[in-house]
Amino acid sequence: MSLHRLRTVMGIELRQRVRSLGWYVLLGVFAVLLIGILVLSFASFALSGGGDGWFFSLVIMLVLLLVLLVSPTLSGSAVNGDRDAATLAPVQVTLVTTTEIVLGKFLAAWISGLAFLVVALPFLLIAMVAGSLNPAVVFVSLIILIVEVGIVAAIGVGFSAVFARPLFSVASTYLVVAALTIGTLIAFSLGGFALRSEQVTVSRDLDWSAVPAGCDPGLLSPSDECPTYDELPCVENTYTSEVPRFDRVWWVLAANPFVILADATPPTYVGGYPQDLFSQISYSVRSAQKSPEAQQGYDGCTPPAVPDNNTPEDQVEGTIPSWFVGLLVQLLVAAGLLAWGIARTRTPARRLPPGTRIA
Amino acid sequence: MDVGIEAAGVRRSFGAVQAVQDVTFSAAPGRVTGLVGPNGSGKTTLMLMLASLLQPDAGEMRIGGVDPVADPSGARRLLGWMPDALGAWPSLTAREVLIATAQLYDLSPTDARARADALLELVDLTALAASAARVLSRGQKQRLALARALVHDPRVLLLDEPASGLDPQARIALRVLLRRLAAEGRTVLISSHVLSELEEVVDDAVFLVDGRTVAGDRVAAAASRTRSWRVRLMIDPSRGAEAARGDVAAALGRLPDEIAADRRDLLVPFADDAGAVAGLRALVGAGVPVLEFAPAVGDLEHAFLDLRVGPGNEGSPA
Repeated sequence: MSLHRLRTVMGIELRQRVRSLGWYVLLGVFAVLLIGILVLSFASFALSGGGDGWFFSLVIMLVLLLVLLVSPTLSGSAVNGDRDAATLAPVQVTLVTTTEIVLGKFLAAWISGLAFLVVALPFLLIAMVAGSLNPAVVFVSLIILIVEVGIVAAIGVGFSAVFARPLFSVASTYLVVAALTIGTLIAFSLGGFALRSEQVTVSRDLDWSAVPAGCDPGLLSPSDECPTYDELPCVENTYTSEVPRFDRVWWVLAANPFVILADATPPTYVGGYPQDLFSQISYSVRSAQKSPEAQQGYDGCTPPAVPDNNTPEDQVEGTIPSWFVGLLVQLLVAAGLLAWGIARTRTPARRLPPGTRIA
Repeated sequence: MDVGIEAAGVRRSFGAVQAVQDVTFSAAPGRVTGLVGPNGSGKTTLMLMLASLLQPDAGEMRIGGVDPVADPSGARRLLGWMPDALGAWPSLTAREVLIATAQLYDLSPTDARARADALLELVDLTALAASAARVLSRGQKQRLALARALVHDPRVLLLDEPASGLDPQARIALRVLLRRLAAEGRTVLISSHVLSELEEVVDDAVFLVDGRTVAGDRVAAAASRTRSWRVRLMIDPSRGAEAARGDVAAALGRLPDEIAADRRDLLVPFADDAGAVAGLRALVGAGVPVLEFAPAVGDLEHAFLDLRVGPGNEGSPA
């Protein structure tokens, strides 16, 4: 591994990008979209006081969405596009190694993705100032955004080295992004319902059949013949039902980029209630970790106890933060694809993808 | 150090297609070796294997004693490869292409810049140094590709169709450059299907037919087979061309039908070089006004066309 050659590969990639008009058009469209989001958000949140935290977290979520949508196009044809343009083989015949080529292209794709974050940065700062937010939240979200751009870049470059057709590798990258964002959501909800378990409900209730005809225990001045509530006997009913087990599939959601973003940022609770979108999502995902009780009971015979005020903040106590598990899964997928891509691009090539020329 | 090219029993297939079936040849340092074969005969596949980009299914190769399969980076230090099509990075200038390539060969940025300028000068592209490589004409791209192959001063050059798309002036410049590179002790392997183009520059030829190199004795046999010689006479306008044909036939003791006319020239078949010498002597001795006496087709073309017909098949090429 030579840094000099790695830098040269990156330089070739980046110089082409910096000089292509399409790149600036894409950045411009990105900025226009962000301006639209910002204006709309300001307009809608001006309706009610407060809610600034929600506003900021919504803006940063949308930045993540846009970055996830843009990144595959930057990286998805890095290697096979070069092969199509006959520019790969002349590079491979030099002293540069396959690892340097693929890693150089990955780093270049990552850096070009970060340009979108640079464009987004002023908007994030405006949102932060307008919402007088915790700088730690902004800082952590930026780190997560940077990492997510890198992961998508690695997946794209990896696929572009594995598949022969640029169209196919770009589409595959989008499919992985879709699987992480929407697929995890579907798997989570369907999985939760598929893996149901039985729940036994025991309810105790007054035996209404013991009330003589013509009597109403609810009357304020009961007659002597009629029993009061206290005098009525209690009966116990047991029935079983099936409940979804989201606690068995909560980890699926952990790989979702939006969940990672929400879960990694320091939660903001005011009076025990989530104060932004991140904390809300994080709370929902953490709640899913709790398994339902195997048996639950209702007692209608005794007056209900004073309900313990269990705020979302209290409920989240004792649950496991999942973002680093999800991030680790994503990093493994990205690194695995890069390694696969390197193996498939190695020269002298033993086998070529069907329908390709090496030069 | 011997920096020649050796290949023995090299074979490579793509699925069911046998691109290269059995290639054995050697190319010596200080000489330009032509790789001659029709389209689809496996020239480019062979070049790719020698350039350490493609692994052969079987066989041994050595580039200056280095096995490009076992030690690709060792072989890459020695060889310069020019593909049949220059893939140009969009929006990089000709100079930047060379600088980037030089840096990929571990040259420092300063050395790379100096090397790029020297090479642009060498292939006469200095005026276009700042133009995007993508917008160069085909011939200019070919020259840039050649410069790129020379970036690290390689001892072995593998040039795939280097002359295609070049104008006559650039062709001559290429020929001079290739001769110079060979004279410096480099091994030059050059492929082409334009035989007249190769004829001008090669010292040795390797014939590739259907993925196989043709053995030297078959090449020699093909070369010594009957070939036509072009005879041009100073025509006496009062007697006409038909009379000239009669004169030549009479002087050679042949029937006029054996001699073909090709525009203003006559084509006379001779069994071998000795026969041609005797024939010329007879013509001059008989007072026939011979203006020009030369093989009708080049040596390479003659051998090649004969090989294509196949051994034991008396075809009549050209």
